Parts: sequence; C-alpha cells; structure tokens
Amino acid sequence: MNRTLTFLAWLAAFATLAMLPQLITVKYYLHLSILALIWVIMAQGQNLIQGYTGYVSIVGAGFMGIGAYSSTLLGLHLHLPTWVTIAMAPMVTALFALATGYPSLRIKGHYFAIVTLAFNLIIVIVLVNYKELTNGETGISNIPKLWGGSRDAYFYLVLLLAAFLTLLAALIARSRVGEILLAIRQNEDLVGSIGIAAWKYKLFAFVVSAMYAGLAGALYAHFQGFINPEIFGVAQSLDAILAVILGGSGTIAGPVIGAFLVVFLPELLRFADSFRLILYGLILVLATIFMPIGIVGVCKALICRLSGKGLRHGA
Amino acid sequence: MAETILRVDLLAKSFGGVKAVRDLSFDVSAGEILGLIGPNGSGKSTTVNVLAGLLPPTSGSIRLGADAIEHMPEADRVSKGLARTFQTARLFPEFTVRQHVRMGCHTIRRTSAFASILPFGLVTREQVATDQHVDGILQLCTLAQIADRPVGSISSAQQRFLMIATALAAKPRILLVDEPAAGLVEHERQALADLIRNIRKREIAVLIIEHHMALIMSLCDRIVVLNFGSKIAEGSPAEIRANPAVIDAYLGEAA
Repeated sequence: MNRTLTFLAWLAAFATLAMLPQLITVKYYLHLSILALIWVIMAQGQNLIQGYTGYVSIVGAGFMGIGAYSSTLLGLHLHLPTWVTIAMAPMVTALFALATGYPSLRIKGHYFAIVTLAFNLIIVIVLVNYKELTNGETGISNIPKLWGGSRDAYFYLVLLLAAFLTLLAALIARSRVGEILLAIRQNEDLVGSIGIAAWKYKLFAFVVSAMYAGLAGALYAHFQGFINPEIFGVAQSLDAILAVILGGSGTIAGPVIGAFLVVFLPELLRFADSFRLILYGLILVLATIFMPIGIVGVCKALICRLSGKGLRHGA
Repeated sequence: MAETILRVDLLAKSFGGVKAVRDLSFDVSAGEILGLIGPNGSGKSTTVNVLAGLLPPTSGSIRLGADAIEHMPEADRVSKGLARTFQTARLFPEFTVRQHVRMGCHTIRRTSAFASILPFGLVTREQVATDQHVDGILQLCTLAQIADRPVGSISSAQQRFLMIATALAAKPRILLVDEPAAGLVEHERQALADLIRNIRKREIAVLIIEHHMALIMSLCDRIVVLNFGSKIAEGSPAEIRANPAVIDAYLGEAA
C-alpha cells in the first residue's frame, strides 16, 4: 500500500513536470526549470556521498566544471558530435574523481570537507590559468546546442535523464551497497570490523557522485552555450550541499525538491531587490538550523504523526 | 585434541618507547574459551586490536588456522574467520536489530554487494539462506523478540548481545569479545555466560577479556594473565587463582 502510494506520487510528479512546457507561458520559467532539472542530477549525486555516506564533499561544482569543459573541448578540438561528448563527460570526471577520491577518503569529517574544498579551488585555478586550452576567465562561448537550441526538446532530454538518474540513485540506495553506505555514515569503524572494506564503497559513492556532477556540467554547457571558470566555483558546490540539506539528505525525493529550491528561490525573491541574496542567505541559515532533516524529513514526521492519530481514533 | 584455531607467537606491539605487548605467545583451540585478564593498561585491548588488524604488530606472528594473518587488512581477517566485539558500544543506531545482524553476514555472502543494485534478481536463494541464518543468530542471542526495533531504542544490555550477534553472523572460527559484561547486572551476566557457552558448542573458539572474575573463572577453560604487556601466567582457573604472581599483580589477597 505504502509503496504503491509512493510510486503514484512519483508518477504524478513526473507527469506534472512533463506537462510544464505546455503550462508555462513565460519562457524564462522554462529556462529555470531546465536549470533546476540539471540541478536535480547534481543534487542526486551529491546526496549519495553527503546524505547516504556522510562525507560532505565541497568539490561538486568543480566536477561539474570538469564535465562542462571536457564535453566542450572534446567537441571543439576532436570535432566529436555533441551527443558523444556529453556521454564522455561523466567518464572523464570519473577519472578525476578516482585520482582525488582515493587519497582524500582516508580522512573524515571536516578534514575531508576541507580537502575537497581545496580540490575545487585548484580546479578553478587551473581553468583560469590554462588559457591555451580554456580561454581563461573569458570563458568559452558559442558552445554547440542540441536540436538547433530547441528549448522544449532540451527540456525533455534533461527531464528523462534526471528521472533515470533519480531511479538509479534509488536502486543504489535500496541495494546492499546503499545499506553499507548508511552503515559507514553511522559507524565506519564497525563497518571495517565486520569485514567490509569501507574504502571500496566510499570510493564508489564519490566516483558516482562525480559522474552525476560531470553529466550535469556537460548538460549545463550545451544548454547555456557559454561557460567560464567562475560558474564552477565553491559557491556552486555549497548550493549543491544546500540542495541536499534543504530537501532532505539521505532521501530520494529530497534532492529533487532541494534542486528546484536552490534554482527558483533566488528568483522568487527578486521583489526584495538588492536585499535578494541577503534574504536568500537568511532563509538558508534558518532552514538549516531549524529544519536539519529537510522538507522530506519534516513531511515524513508529519505523516507519521497524522497517521498515528488516525489509528488511535479507529479511523 | 581439538584443532588449534589461533596461534600467537612472540607477538609484540610498541607505541614509540612504550612496549604495550611484549613477546606474547598463546593459542586457542576450537570449542575452547580462553580468558585474557590483567590489570588496566596491561595490554589486553591492544592484543585484541592487533589480533583483529586494527593495529599492526611490531613483531611476532599470528596464525589463523593455516594462514599467517599478521599483515592482513582488518576486513580480510573477518572473511578468514576472525570476528570481534568492542569494549564500548559500536553500533549502527538507525538500523533495526535484524538489519544490524544482516550487515554482519557480508563476508559469508557469495554475491557481490554491487550486483544487488541491479533490479533483476528479486528474491535470490542466497537472500533466503541469509535470512534464515540471521533468524538463527537472533534466536541464539535472545534478540528475536526485538528484531524489528531500531538499535538506538534497545537497552544497553541488549546492545551488548547485538554486538556479539553481529560478529557471529560472519560464521567466525574464533570470536574475540572485549569486556562483554561491562555494565551488565547479575541476571544479564548469567545470560551472557549461557550465550558464550552456546557459542562454544558450535565449535567456535572464544577469546574473552573481562574484569568480572567470577564470570571469567566459571566460564573459561584456560586463562592467560598479562601484566605490563607480558604474560605472567597461563593455566586453568584453579591454577590461576592459586598463582602467587597473579595474586600479587592483579587478584589481590582476598581472591
């Protein structure tokens, strides 16, 4: 019963999203919706390492940048079709994640966060200074778009990818691997002593999350048609972390909700004019303090309480 | 003579200039309960941590059956048949008791955890076998009644039994239990002694560290006494109780 309800809720959400291009009259909101779906991919990946495994990685945007630049540059220099370069972007990102994840996953907590933060800074520094390849701070424009830049078509591509990758995240979360990741979050020492080589699973979560970010980066590049290093700075990594916390870390619906929030909230606050970002920051700080379990966590608690009451009244 | 499961030979562990364990040798056989006792700081827990692979030994050898394991990673030793519990509660508080014990089955499964990501093999034969194995362990450790409760909500005595249950789920040949009776009251200690005797019946060797002398004396077949990292005595409970060196270093005159 419960599972059927969950499935129906997901189906309804997917159907609503699929109808968005028909429902939305303001083109700008469709633009934001595509960005939000790209962020769903980003946040689902971030959730694997942050929400399930308990390792707060601050290199999400850096990996996004690696995906964006590798897809763009592969197309530019090797003249590969955009389809192919988008598919190659997560592979390239995975290689970087393997090389950085193996040493950094040996440390925990704040230390891991700081090391990954440093990785993000290094990625941006390289993107800024390796001008021959990346064109430095000026960035790269006129990146080829799919289907001659049709927004509706791109919306459906991103929607399908976001849905598929959400499903994949759910499969991982429900598997024995997901159980081991949750165990690592709760007590990593015990995981080792019951015979599980924790590093394999941490590295798996880190690399998969990087692949999600790499794909999100490539999709972003071919959507906007323009990238520069600033877009992939630490501030964006923090947005990915916030998307997970706001939505509900360690849940599958959480990153979806969180992704739409971090894209739409700053826009909805435009009425506040120059106080917009201050207000956004304030909301984020208050939400993390008073709602650390996220929107999905709060909803779950509410449903439990309501159904508990229902039972007591014999309804 | 039962098969020797664990053979420790001239094991030493130093932390800088501090020699925590010095040239320690002993062995444990299948179905035997060996006690490891000594004053605080005598090197008991260090010994267990070196045996389990949490700390590398400075010198000496550890054989588990026919395998030399002294340089083997912690996780691999579990698949070779060595399981342990900790002095303080180390648990996954968000899991249910049943889930917690199932985590302990990792090394005895034949399929990779990664294969379980694919949605195809819905209910495999292995899953059924694992579930039955887990049910058996829950029965043995008197946890079946609370199998579906979250670990964080059960009593600390139940948590101690759960640690043993999770270690047993790996089907070990030897179980190292580090102060299992800490914080237990009399009837819980009795239940613990019954459990350890039942474990021994399964031909599992047990190495137990414990400060509660009545428990150790009634439970153990043999006892090894440590003081300042060295073995000062080894023998049956009666021999240990009468040993002047042990009385002097640890038990005191009253014992």
